[in-house]
Amino acid sequence: MNRETAQQAMAEYFDAGGFEDDLARLVAVPTESQTTEGLPHCRRYLEDEMVPAFEAMGFETRIFDNPIPDCGPVLLATRIEDPALPTILGYGHGDTVRGMDERWTRGAGPWRTAREGDRLYGRGTADNKSQHWINMKALGAVMDARGGRLGFNVKWIIETGEENGSKGMREVIESDIDAFRADAFIASDGPRVRVDRPTVSLGARGALNFDLSCDLREGAHHSGNWGGALADPVAILSHAIASIVGPSGRIEVEAWRPEPPSDMVRELLKDVTIEPGPDGPRPDPDWGEPGFSPAENIYAWNSFAVLAMLAGTPESPINAVQPKARANCQLRFIAGTDPADILPGLRRHLDAHGFSQVAIEDAPAANRGGYAASRTEPDDPWALMVRRSLERSTGVAPAVIPQMGGSICNELFTDLLGMPAIWIPHSYTACSQHAPDEHVILPLCREALQVMAGLWWDLGEEAPGRRA
Amino acid sequence: MSREAAVARVLAAFDEGTWRAETARLVAIPTESQRPERREALERYLTEGVGPLFERLGYTLERHENPTGGGPVLLAERDEGAPLTVLSYGHGDVIRGQEGRWSDGMDPWTVEERDGRLYGRGVVDNKGQHLAQLMAVEAVVAERGRLGVNHRFVIEMGEENGSAGFREVVEARRARFDADVFFASDGPRTEIGRPNVTLGNRGVLNFDLVCRFREGGHHSGNWGGLLANPAVVLANAIAAICDGRGRVRVPGWDTGPAPAPVRRALRGVRREAGPSAPAIDPDWGAEGLSDIERVTAVPTFEVLAMTAGDPARPVNAIPPEARAACQLRFVTPLTKAEVLPALRAHLDASGFARVEIAPPDPANAIAFEATRTDPDHPFAAWMRAAVDRAPWDRTGGERCAVLPNSGGSNVTEVMQHVLGMPTVWLPLSYAGCRQHAPDEHVPLALMREGLGILASIWWDLGDPETGYRKEGA
Repeated sequence: MNRETAQQAMAEYFDAGGFEDDLARLVAVPTESQTTEGLPHCRRYLEDEMVPAFEAMGFETRIFDNPIPDCGPVLLATRIEDPALPTILGYGHGDTVRGMDERWTRGAGPWRTAREGDRLYGRGTADNKSQHWINMKALGAVMDARGGRLGFNVKWIIETGEENGSKGMREVIESDIDAFRADAFIASDGPRVRVDRPTVSLGARGALNFDLSCDLREGAHHSGNWGGALADPVAILSHAIASIVGPSGRIEVEAWRPEPPSDMVRELLKDVTIEPGPDGPRPDPDWGEPGFSPAENIYAWNSFAVLAMLAGTPESPINAVQPKARANCQLRFIAGTDPADILPGLRRHLDAHGFSQVAIEDAPAANRGGYAASRTEPDDPWALMVRRSLERSTGVAPAVIPQMGGSICNELFTDLLGMPAIWIPHSYTACSQHAPDEHVILPLCREALQVMAGLWWDLGEEAPGRRA
Repeated sequence: MSREAAVARVLAAFDEGTWRAETARLVAIPTESQRPERREALERYLTEGVGPLFERLGYTLERHENPTGGGPVLLAERDEGAPLTVLSYGHGDVIRGQEGRWSDGMDPWTVEERDGRLYGRGVVDNKGQHLAQLMAVEAVVAERGRLGVNHRFVIEMGEENGSAGFREVVEARRARFDADVFFASDGPRTEIGRPNVTLGNRGVLNFDLVCRFREGGHHSGNWGGLLANPAVVLANAIAAICDGRGRVRVPGWDTGPAPAPVRRALRGVRREAGPSAPAIDPDWGAEGLSDIERVTAVPTFEVLAMTAGDPARPVNAIPPEARAACQLRFVTPLTKAEVLPALRAHLDASGFARVEIAPPDPANAIAFEATRTDPDHPFAAWMRAAVDRAPWDRTGGERCAVLPNSGGSNVTEVMQHVLGMPTVWLPLSYAGCRQHAPDEHVPLALMREGLGILASIWWDLGDPETGYRKEGA
């Protein structure tokens, strides 16, 4: 029994259809965390799916109720072989974004997996159910290959509110911080840089959602009688947005422009090309910060997005000057951006450009986001060890990205719990997570099962020593 | 037999409740032209609503089918063999009733008097106004025994649906609709305190701007910074179309300063919309122009509606598409055909080749040419003088105001461009009348004054002493 045995077991599990069956069962639990209807399902996901799986591997499990109303519970599973061994903290989230049932064009809707060629469709297939399941199954395979031992201790968090901003996660950890302590954090979420390129991600951009609102008066007024006499809030809001980001995506708000990436980061990113996959959208080469490569724009720079916008009645426009306009906006930001100055800095910018009529308001409660930015240094010993293991399993050096474009609760692990945090994403960028037609690439899942079995095996042999 | 007697006659009819009772009867026919199921009401308005009123006055009626399938067009004609032929116009259709949204549960189809105002859908737009024209004609015929001019009165049943088909009906039989001059009533006065003649209208063209960059939304964490954001690009494009105070920046839309007669006519003309009207924004629109110039003498661009992503429930994704329903109100000599090519050229020159100009929502695809009769045209001057001879409360000003064109848009292009005649409107409502909204109403005193002015004008039109003589006649 050895590394290859564990990896072989994963191939057999996959090839026998076990992985697809298991994922179908997990996806069938409609764990929307942005709707109140989803909450009971979030708890059921933990109690009926996660707890038995962890307990079968000898974990003790504990479900923390979320102290924040209408937010899902958090599972902590713990397996201590020997307090003297290093401890790894794993992570996954069982919740998903909304199903968007009526907008799916492929598969069988959000809550039933459906295979089409190499793809398996379903809500949560990529984000994040397949990813934590892969890591859990690989852990079990290594345990079997080592005769019931791992060679390290494991703690594992499954939260159910990630898509709702991981609200309450910090409070849950702080309520018993020692129960969550470990030496290194290793987990999977998000996409690889390219579908065929194993990837190690060492942090995450932060995200702050907010609304821009221009509300000038009550009611709409006939544009024939009033056009030219009443200010158009849609035009004003458009100008405000245009002052924040130019037509090619350059951020113009001074407080949103951190230090450019370091030479080490730029060197690592030279090796990273963005491959959207056959059905992925084409990156726009002229979008973003002038002079930055696409990889630098997404992994080492801030980006502003208008997520949604509304004025008037777009389904049946009327000939009237509108009273108000609203844009739901988001800043994704890297470590080095002062999070406390994001909105004050925007306010200063808007005022300086004559947009005092444009208010900065809270994002809708169901999509408020709110993540800090964080990262682990690329030369951290745990990061180096993981990179070696992935290269051993796949034959290629993994791409290393300093922080993934998306936002996760990474700062809880790096800052609150004070450990290096290493992500090994198993999806790819065109997986339509957060949109209809979410899917995973099945051969990639098969490879990931083996990669993770290799990594868990290696950790039992050569984990960096217990940290101070 | 005198102008004063004709005026007294129409005012007596008003005071006896004739206008109110007839308006009530017309308002009760729910002629919503934007609802196909109201087709029967559109027909009934002509056969049972206004038809009998015309026939009583000796008009012959001709019904013309609308080639677009919309409401029919009625042509009522009364020929006295007089040297002058006048074309009048009204529309019998109304916008949606908006039942349930009127104050205190008022029913849009049942007129109701409150605080000296008459409420009901169509009391000003336009049933009450063409009824007033007809009552003034009736008073003059009764007083003098004849009108003194030949009269063609067209009633359209699809104005609130963009007048679809109206131009085609007229173009197919120009001679039947032809006349020497055009005179009708619709819309609001610009000042509630004194009458004005309105000689044309701003043009209008609705269109959509669309940034459709790709299929589907894409996670803003994975793609933010890689994918152009259509809402950001569209916002930048809109910012290139109008500046921060709404002035249009499209070179081809700029028609320059209004001609001297227009500016002269607008001097001293105010905008008064009544107490419940919104406050005018002093920092918006063209600088150095009066309020009335800002809404009538220059083009204005509006975003009527805009959407991107799922605003009811935003998600953290770069939306695939952003769309803005836009409108240009423009002034002569710019024409509809020039509007979109000029915009395309401007967008391309400004780096917005990816922003598509698309057709508007078919239900709101309005498009009218800009029109204007020269304020110095003899018929415009005659009409202003006729209003000045009429009785009205002069505390708001001594002379009738002249509006070379209104800020809104209507079918005047058919009379000016298809039939080629000078056009004068005498609006009888005021800007606070809530037309196109719940609580449409008219102050009864304002309507009474309007009826007196109309009777005086029609008296003068048919009087050999004061009557208008077309050039060369």
